[in-house]
Amino acid sequence: MEMMRRERIDRGIKVRTEGIYAISSIREVLYLLGPRLILIVGMISLPFILELAPYWKRVVNIMCVYSLIALSFDFLANYVGLVCLGGAFFVGIGGYIAAIFNVYLSFPIYVSIPLATICGAIFCTLMLLPCLPLRGVYFAIVTLMYPLFFTRVIEALNILGGTNGITGLSSFPNQYVEEYTIIIVTLLFLFGMRRFVTQDIGLVLRGVKDNDQAVRASGISIAYMKSLAVFIASVMGCFAGAYIAHLYMWSGISLFALDFSIIPIASVVIGGGGTLVGAIIGSVILVPLSEILRAFGTFRIVIYCIILTLVIVFKSEGLMIYLQRKYHQFERWVKV
Amino acid sequence: MFEGRELMVFYENMIALNNVTLKCDHSQIVGVFGSNSAGKSTLMYMLSGIILDIKKKEDMRGGERISTFGRIFFNGTDITNLKPHQRAKVGIILCPERRRIFPESDVLENLKIGAYLSTKKERKENIEYVLNLFPRLKDHLKRQGGFLSGGEQQMLAIGRALMANPQVLLLDEPLLGLSPAYQDIVIKGAKEIRDTKGIRIIITEQYARPVMPIIDYGYILENGSSVLSGTREELLDNPDVKSAYFGV
Repeated sequence: MEMMRRERIDRGIKVRTEGIYAISSIREVLYLLGPRLILIVGMISLPFILELAPYWKRVVNIMCVYSLIALSFDFLANYVGLVCLGGAFFVGIGGYIAAIFNVYLSFPIYVSIPLATICGAIFCTLMLLPCLPLRGVYFAIVTLMYPLFFTRVIEALNILGGTNGITGLSSFPNQYVEEYTIIIVTLLFLFGMRRFVTQDIGLVLRGVKDNDQAVRASGISIAYMKSLAVFIASVMGCFAGAYIAHLYMWSGISLFALDFSIIPIASVVIGGGGTLVGAIIGSVILVPLSEILRAFGTFRIVIYCIILTLVIVFKSEGLMIYLQRKYHQFERWVKV
Repeated sequence: MFEGRELMVFYENMIALNNVTLKCDHSQIVGVFGSNSAGKSTLMYMLSGIILDIKKKEDMRGGERISTFGRIFFNGTDITNLKPHQRAKVGIILCPERRRIFPESDVLENLKIGAYLSTKKERKENIEYVLNLFPRLKDHLKRQGGFLSGGEQQMLAIGRALMANPQVLLLDEPLLGLSPAYQDIVIKGAKEIRDTKGIRIIITEQYARPVMPIIDYGYILENGSSVLSGTREELLDNPDVKSAYFGV
């Protein structure tokens, strides 16, 4: 009986571009740069393409905000092994700190956003510190509970504007600054993180994910490594929060809403976990999709759920992993 | 007759099992020997059907593509396409490598989980049988599986496999990390299982010396292919086996 096997092999060009031959011809250079350029140029030209649709420009901003949160989730979940169910925690803290700096202490916007990012990240890391040495479900639960905790605290004590939130944050000087701040920061974080996870420290973090005891035995403090990772992730989340507070010129308890925790996770699932780019691609698909589905009213959640379920059932590996494989490898039938 | 015919497994493009044919008759103990990366565990996954599960998971994750070929027969029926739990129902039970006991259940609970497929009466008999086979387990009936020593865990794993009334028992490296004394207990246990219950046993091992005395038929695997097979006497007489496994 003739037996055939479907074989997957790397494309010649992929193998060539891994070495010095990467710069040998324009084709190889394009092969390497093409996908990156499409993403970068695509993102940067979005505000121009959507010049006549101001509403959709707002959607692009929100999309980038979700991309950042998704990026931080993907990094924590697939490179450090911490499942963070609380993107909203980072966003809320970042947003409120930016509001405090901007409204109460009247710092200008270009100070309040960076400062809120750093201070917020330090605050988030400190809040999460107790559950970092542990492995297991603790981190997920704590991150899920903190947004609820802060919502109720703000409501009950009527501090920081109470249920009305803090209003009167200064807006961005003009629309282009508003657009490009978030687009460029998202791209910087994306490529920065891609670089970071292949550095020594990124390797150690992946080790923590695989086997924390072995990492401990190598003389590395798990708690320190994990808090570093949480700090980096919360920098991304807090920046998103500070940005969104300034975008809406308002910081309220809806910054702690569950949306900021759930949609990024869904984006990572659709985009493909562990690729980092997948987080961005997932948000680029999901956020506009949910805007389009707004026409269906509350029914949009149903459609949203159906799409998510279909992806998980039929392409559970995620879009990006699938695309990468198609790009780098080809298949053929061979005789066994 | 339990038979795997022309089994082949590819992990992506790497061949892990190359055209291996293996037979195990009623109340026979068959030994499969080979060094690391010889394909012993893959063979066990293939026979027990776990490979189908691994394949599916890898597929969903977008990882390696696993291709399997060959057919597996049990008492004349083709069971190649049965899923692992269906194969367990037919009577092919795997006692996995590195034991994989349930660390948070105690010994008795571990055995009861293994007895999911049998009736209450059989369960009672089987527990008694296992505890007689490995008396050491009697002392720790209420201890959590994770706190047992390696040797006791191995006994528990074999015991758990026995609870499902196997007709074919697949022992994947049962001597891994065991002291010679414990190796002896496990090997004697395996022989007793065969003698009293007539269960076919397939043992994979790196060390032939402790296992060789109890086997009826043996296969030597090397880089995924079966390079040598024969009865115990034939293997013991073979000069290559002697030098590789007995240092003679």
